[in-house]
Amino acid sequence: MRSILTIIYNDLSIYLSQRGNLVGLLVIPVLLTLVIGWSLGRIGGGGPTRLRVDLIDLDRSDLSAHLIEELRAANDALVLCPLDNDADDYCRLEDEPLDVDRAIQRAHSGRTRALVVIPAGYADALVDFRTVTIDFYSRSDPMQPGPVLQGLNAVLQRTSSASMTKGVAAALLDNLTTAAQLPALDEETRDSFLNTLYDRALQLSTEQPPAVLFRVADSADDSEGGIDNGFNQSAPGMGSLYVMFTVLGGMAVLLRERRQWTLQRLMALPLSRAQILGAKIGAYFTLGMIQFFIVFAVGAAFGMDFGSNPPALLAVMAAFVLCITALTFALAPWIKSEGQARGLVLLLSLSLAPLGGAWWPLEIVPEFMQTIGHLSPVAWAMDAFQDLIWYNGAFPDVLPEIAVLLAAAAVLFAIGIRSFKYE
Amino acid sequence: MKTMVEARNLRKSYKRADGSTIEAVKGVDLDIHQGEIFSLLGPNGAGKTTTISMISGLVAPTEGDATIGGHSITKQPMAAKRLMGFVPQEIALYPELSARQNLAFFGRMYGLGGKKLSRRVDELIEFVDLADRQNDRIDTFSGGMKRRVNLAAGLLNSPPLIYMDEPTVGIDPQSRRRILDTVKLLRDEQDMTVLYTTHLMEEAQELSDRVGIMDHGEIIAMGTQAELTQQVGEEDRLEITTGAQNVGEALTERMQQDIAGLTRVLYNPPEPIGENSGESTPARLTVFAKRGRTALPQIIQTLDAAGIDIQSVEVREPDLEAVFLALTGRALRD
Repeated sequence: MRSILTIIYNDLSIYLSQRGNLVGLLVIPVLLTLVIGWSLGRIGGGGPTRLRVDLIDLDRSDLSAHLIEELRAANDALVLCPLDNDADDYCRLEDEPLDVDRAIQRAHSGRTRALVVIPAGYADALVDFRTVTIDFYSRSDPMQPGPVLQGLNAVLQRTSSASMTKGVAAALLDNLTTAAQLPALDEETRDSFLNTLYDRALQLSTEQPPAVLFRVADSADDSEGGIDNGFNQSAPGMGSLYVMFTVLGGMAVLLRERRQWTLQRLMALPLSRAQILGAKIGAYFTLGMIQFFIVFAVGAAFGMDFGSNPPALLAVMAAFVLCITALTFALAPWIKSEGQARGLVLLLSLSLAPLGGAWWPLEIVPEFMQTIGHLSPVAWAMDAFQDLIWYNGAFPDVLPEIAVLLAAAAVLFAIGIRSFKYE
Repeated sequence: MKTMVEARNLRKSYKRADGSTIEAVKGVDLDIHQGEIFSLLGPNGAGKTTTISMISGLVAPTEGDATIGGHSITKQPMAAKRLMGFVPQEIALYPELSARQNLAFFGRMYGLGGKKLSRRVDELIEFVDLADRQNDRIDTFSGGMKRRVNLAAGLLNSPPLIYMDEPTVGIDPQSRRRILDTVKLLRDEQDMTVLYTTHLMEEAQELSDRVGIMDHGEIIAMGTQAELTQQVGEEDRLEITTGAQNVGEALTERMQQDIAGLTRVLYNPPEPIGENSGESTPARLTVFAKRGRTALPQIIQTLDAAGIDIQSVEVREPDLEAVFLALTGRALRD
């Protein structure tokens, strides 16, 4: 083990002693992370086009359905789960029923923007002109309401006004009938009159231009999940891209080591092939992790979110770096010149990174491109980073992505180790 | 005498891109005794480096095995490698590191550390006379200096056996002399066994206790220099450079019949140098004779009578070049 660590230390010392390598490892990734982070932050806060909101209707009345319709109409970015879930399970319900406890947990973890619970007896309370409480759960600051709370408030205000109109009209009708000694209206006619008034009041308040128009794109002050901070996209994205640049660059170094015979000299030392190979893999793995840490440190300095599960974040980084290290070793034996290696590094990095969503979120590209994008390991890493950083996911949420990356690493290592050239 | 290296039926085959097989080493048997300098002599491409690579564990033999101090290089590679140092033909050093950093790194790989490592590095830097440049990067060194550090890296573990694969390639005569002296010093003062490969007959002659001559992947002769030269007899070799006139087979046969003491006459006609240069190598007549100097006047007379211009004549005592020529019909440098 000591020999392996000594080789890793030696390889890293040589790498870091080159000024050109430091530019590639430190300067350019940091600059690009900053530029892209700020750019994404400026473009409408980089917020997602849809906001996931859990809604549980315990009343199941016409009035509660009406409230839901109003809420939907208030902001077309809201996806009310489970009512508006799509075939791709945007609500991430994974075929499990959504009860209040689970919905509270989802809101607490940041997986949804908010939870709205319409209580049983909501319609009766409105009709009887009684107070009714709608529960709203969210991680957002109540003093700085986000788009969901603002939308809900607007709808409730309108519903409340219409309900009040209806109540006042009912009281007026009863007093008028008594004072003027008019014959009492039958129940059906009375209800119809009052409901017409309610609908008309609601219609008028809906048609009235809102004092404030809410748009998701204007939600930069919303501190809930998502790419509210451009660095939530740029740090993992640029980290993945530069891990590829740095680690894949190892192809040229392995070729050089073979040509300058330092690899053969190691072979002539009392070391096994497994030790030498393990050390070389260890060196590039360490370099890749250093690259991730540098870029994430830049993100941290500019308020990037790290989610609530650092071990899971580390595991995703490690799985991705391992996968790229394996790709390096699988390709290295076929490389004939350093120029060829440099060309291949550029080609792979600049095609796999954008394809996998390193530059922009895959959500904004057409569905077929999202499917193709998942041929790139970057897509799997970015999916996992999004789960952890944007949606505060837990370890189990990113296990599928980690498994895919590790499986790819295993296959590529099998190819690389089998065909590794020591001479 | 204790045997340090024993190789039996070492073979190495490679597959070509077209699927055919090329046999680089064809069943080499070798015994190298403790404390001797053993040279593998042969032209480029003879299989010397492949043989040394198999014995040092760099390349797995297709067939056969070698033992180092009784440890099989294929079955007990770690034990075998601990007994040897390796000085490859290439400068197997990290050009970005200083001489001292290189030696310290490879020393750590042998398990050295702390003061012991530092002392050993100091000793070797003194030994190869590079104390004043020890902290300079290798890529700022001259070829000869790089070769000396390359040699020092092979001595870090004070091995009883050292392999040196053409360690004087591409360096100036002064550095070459220093390395040859160092090799002798290792044997004479440190009782080290040296396996030395070279294509230069002079080096093999100067250094070696015993020599193995390789050609086309086989050892075609092995022994002390005296034993090898005896194989071609006590013959002198006369190298005669002639003019452009063709020396026919009839003339060489007549010389052998008419001149007493001549055993063999070989003629190499002029060959063009390059395709369009218009220049060619001089024609060369090689004559093997029991007493070359005695036969020389008669040889000159015969050639003169046949109208052959004689440009130069050199009489050479029996040497390894003659052995190689006698065994293969080619000169070592061909």
